[in-house]
Amino acid sequence: MEIRLRVFRFQPEKDQRPRYDVFTIETDPTERILDLLEYVRGDVDGSLAFRRSCAHGVCGSDAMRINGRNLLACKVLVKDLGTSEITVEPLLGLRVIKDLIVDMGPFLEHYKSVMPYFINDDIPADGKEFLQSPEQRARFDDTTKCIMCAACTTSCPSFWSNTEYVGPAAIVNAHRFIFDSRDTGAAKRLEVLNEQFGVWRCRTAFNCTEACPREIKITQAIAEVKQVLTSGKLE
Amino acid sequence: MSTLKTTLTGYTGYRGREGHYAFLLHRITGLGTVLFLVIHIIDIALVYLSPKGFLDVVALYQTTLFGIGEIALVFCVFFHGINGLRIAYFDMFKPANWSIETERNSTRITLIATLILWLPATFFMARNILIHNYGLFGG
Ligand code: HEM
Ligand code: HEM
Ligand code: FES
Repeated sequence: MEIRLRVFRFQPEKDQRPRYDVFTIETDPTERILDLLEYVRGDVDGSLAFRRSCAHGVCGSDAMRINGRNLLACKVLVKDLGTSEITVEPLLGLRVIKDLIVDMGPFLEHYKSVMPYFINDDIPADGKEFLQSPEQRARFDDTTKCIMCAACTTSCPSFWSNTEYVGPAAIVNAHRFIFDSRDTGAAKRLEVLNEQFGVWRCRTAFNCTEACPREIKITQAIAEVKQVLTSGKLE
Repeated sequence: MSTLKTTLTGYTGYRGREGHYAFLLHRITGLGTVLFLVIHIIDIALVYLSPKGFLDVVALYQTTLFGIGEIALVFCVFFHGINGLRIAYFDMFKPANWSIETERNSTRITLIATLILWLPATFFMARNILIHNYGLFGG
């Protein structure tokens, strides 16, 4: 089939404003959007800039707006979009460095702010390891799946309006440790999330959950953190 | 892009699903009701400040334009209230309801419940306008 691929182009040092380049491509419905971009960069216009690494939905490099929705270019087939008009744009709310590449700096700062690492300075009872039951492990299983692609945070209306909002991805990663029975840093993380730009900026618009390529129940995780903050107790 | 431009691009251009539109409608209806409340506080205050002015305002409320505005206001209050209860209930008591299935369905139910309450109100309010402003239905 023949498709029309419209690609957002912008090089801030050179261009006054962004433009859209159109590429007409003969392709199979089973090709991925990433394949189309690879084709353009490899065979048509080598100056096109986008990130990719694994090409299999694991690394989280190639989240972008495809026909107005945040998706991983490597996980969407042409036929999934149900149209031959395909528009590809960078994630919204982060500064464009070039074309489809955005500055992930602010996003990663929010990630760091929730201390996304295991905190426990105690000595395990057996001197070797902290034990955990399968139920305790299952409590935070969903939020271990995040690949940091930023599809959720950049689909959030609160984040568009104010990038100081810590954002769904950071809350998901905080949730992963807050609900880990072995971790002792919950209070510190909850303090960060209880601040003005913490969880209370969430308006439950649900774009994050719809956008997550790992199908993490993000809005639920955020609501669970809100509950801990209002009830003052874990679980 | 400025923050405002990013926000508006997202509001209008992002192809979200039910939740995205419920969020937008909740915000618009909330702000719409606030706007009415401001005007409303002024109009009610006129009873005290300028009784003559109050009567003029009441006459203004009886015009067709304001009548249509009131019909819109009823929609705003119903949608905002029902959707607000939905959000508060899920967030405070049932986080597990924030699954894609339940969220989409509950949003649709919210809209249907709003219409069930709003349409009869619209019928009577529109009929009133037609009776009093256009002499229809034996008015
Ligand atoms: C078009 C529909 C409405 C009409 C005809 C209406 C009429 C009135 C009247 C006549 C009063 C004076 C009551 C009194 O002091 O004796 C009043 C007061 C008030 N209304 Fe409304 N109202 C309407 C809608 C609303 C809405 C939607 C809100 C909330 C957003 C609201 C909020 C208030 C408040 C806060 C007061 C002052 C409290 C009071 O004086 O008792 N009204 N309204
Ligand atoms: C029936 C009673 C009401 C209920 C149950 C209700 C519920 C809510 C809830 C739960 C929110 C937060 C939404 C979120 O965080 O996602 C909210 C926001 C809001 N409400 Fe209400 N509300 C009610 C009446 C009103 C009235 C009378 C007004 C106007 C005078 C109003 C104006 C607003 C505004 C402006 C917002 C902010 C919207 C936003 O941030 O997008 N609400 N409401
Ligand atoms: S390229 Fe790694 S997630 Fe798509």
